[in-house]
Amino acid sequence: MDFRDTMQKVYSWACQIGNLGLWIIWLLIHFAVDLWYFALHIACAIESYLISSGILKRYKALDIDKLRYLAIVIESEEAYHIPAVIQLLQWLVDIGVKHVCLYDAEGILKKSKESILGKLNNATLFEEAGESNLLLDHKHITLEFASFPDGKEAVAKAANLLFMKYVKLGGSGKIQEEKIFTEAHMSEALRAVGCKGPEPDLLLVYGPVRCHLGFPAWRIRYTEIVHMGRLKSMRYGSLLKAIYKFTMVRQNYGK
Amino acid sequence: MISSLSPQLLIKPNTATTLSPIPHVQNQRFKLASHVCPSELLSIRKRPGSACAATTQHRRYLLFPAEEEEEEEREVKFTSDAPALAEGLQREPMPRHVAVIMDGNRRWAHLRGLPVRSGYEAGVKSLKTLVELCCKWGIRVLTVFAFSSDNWFRPEVEVEFLMSLLETGVKEETESFIRERIRISVIGDTSKLPKCLEELVINVVETTKNNTRFQLIVAVSYSGQYDLVQACQRIAMKVKDGLIEPNDVSESLIEQELETNCTEFPYPDLLIRTSGELRISNFMLWQLAYTELFFSQSLWPDFGEAEFLEALKSFQQRCRHYGK
Repeated sequence: MDFRDTMQKVYSWACQIGNLGLWIIWLLIHFAVDLWYFALHIACAIESYLISSGILKRYKALDIDKLRYLAIVIESEEAYHIPAVIQLLQWLVDIGVKHVCLYDAEGILKKSKESILGKLNNATLFEEAGESNLLLDHKHITLEFASFPDGKEAVAKAANLLFMKYVKLGGSGKIQEEKIFTEAHMSEALRAVGCKGPEPDLLLVYGPVRCHLGFPAWRIRYTEIVHMGRLKSMRYGSLLKAIYKFTMVRQNYGK
Repeated sequence: MISSLSPQLLIKPNTATTLSPIPHVQNQRFKLASHVCPSELLSIRKRPGSACAATTQHRRYLLFPAEEEEEEEREVKFTSDAPALAEGLQREPMPRHVAVIMDGNRRWAHLRGLPVRSGYEAGVKSLKTLVELCCKWGIRVLTVFAFSSDNWFRPEVEVEFLMSLLETGVKEETESFIRERIRISVIGDTSKLPKCLEELVINVVETTKNNTRFQLIVAVSYSGQYDLVQACQRIAMKVKDGLIEPNDVSESLIEQELETNCTEFPYPDLLIRTSGELRISNFMLWQLAYTELFFSQSLWPDFGEAEFLEALKSFQQRCRHYGK
């Protein structure tokens, strides 16, 4: 009995030591992972500083003309931080970006349109900028404001326009449907219902989630999408890097 | 930021977890996936308090509705073999529907000094691996972007090879699909496919339509814009037949007519694009509004279990808000 009791005690100690050992290993691995991500974070911050200060020369030779239209998607909770949005736009003006579409699903930015335009001295609405203004000077920018209804809801409205036309023509036969409902006609109908913005070349997402949050789907066929992290953590260097990387991309468009 | 990144990676010993039913499905009792073997049980281990607060509201679980009406929480036990999850992966939240843009086959071949067809053949192997992993880990739907409408502009020889590869693949794997209870669906403008391939596709879709274990949706000759346009064409025919008034056309009606309506879960939870390109290239435009986007640096033929695991872990770590 004594021997059995002793063996049971030994076994129990061995299990406890084993569990403790596993716990320590788990903590160490977790610490290593935390350290890795911390190091990555520091490296990103340093790189961003180097880019912002102009020490990394290659970012100075930025061919900004390749970026004809930029979209910024901001998660709605973060869209309330209007000063941060204005700061972001100021950076974009400094970089030389000419046309920007600001999007958030709930339309917070749309509601703050006047405030944003007022704080930026050299910004006009995209809709008001005519053809003659397309060749803007370096420090001028056009802004388009979009929200969730400009996406799927707009497609439904555009589809309704086409359906009215179809009914008027007394549609019959598959050929009629195929003639009226085409991609070109849909694009035209979208412009008719007020969605006039072009397809962005680059879409930057600010927020915790890596999705475009319902940005007008019809317009992002070949748009480069980059997740930038939270708006409150935005850095000029990261912004410049994302735009620089875009200018170096070559698209095949499936061919 | 660090704490939000790391907690989901590792699983602490000796902590059991329970699963709750999917919040949006009411009055249904849930059970485990049917592919879980009942022998040799193993408890899921989870670190207490590791859940990201933002994910709590939007967790989804790999549970399937049973016939009983009352919902209840259960302690879940899993087998020690398939679908045992890989190290660091949690049972919840797992995506129900994963979409993949299989990019990089030609670059892969070019880097190795091989002909382009070798890249595509290697890509097929990667696809098989991914299907196996999805079945193993309980992902219900996988949509793959096999051939876009823009790809028709590629060299004729290449297009012909791709069509023959598709044909061979479908013929060789049909028995396997039936045996593994995999449902095959094809979306895209199949009228542009060679006649024999078109018939083969119709046949395999019909043959496997009652399979429920897993669904593989292959997008061939597909364009996201065209998907929307064809939805409008179908609605127009219903308008012509007097089934719908023109003014009744709404977003939900359009959604019902999209080609991805062939599945119970038409909206991907996770989109993976390989080869480092950062765009969706006219793929499922309408459906990807709240889909997590993961851009992998691997070329498609190199995309294997490790890379898929990385994408899934990344998905599990992110806070998903669905725009709220």
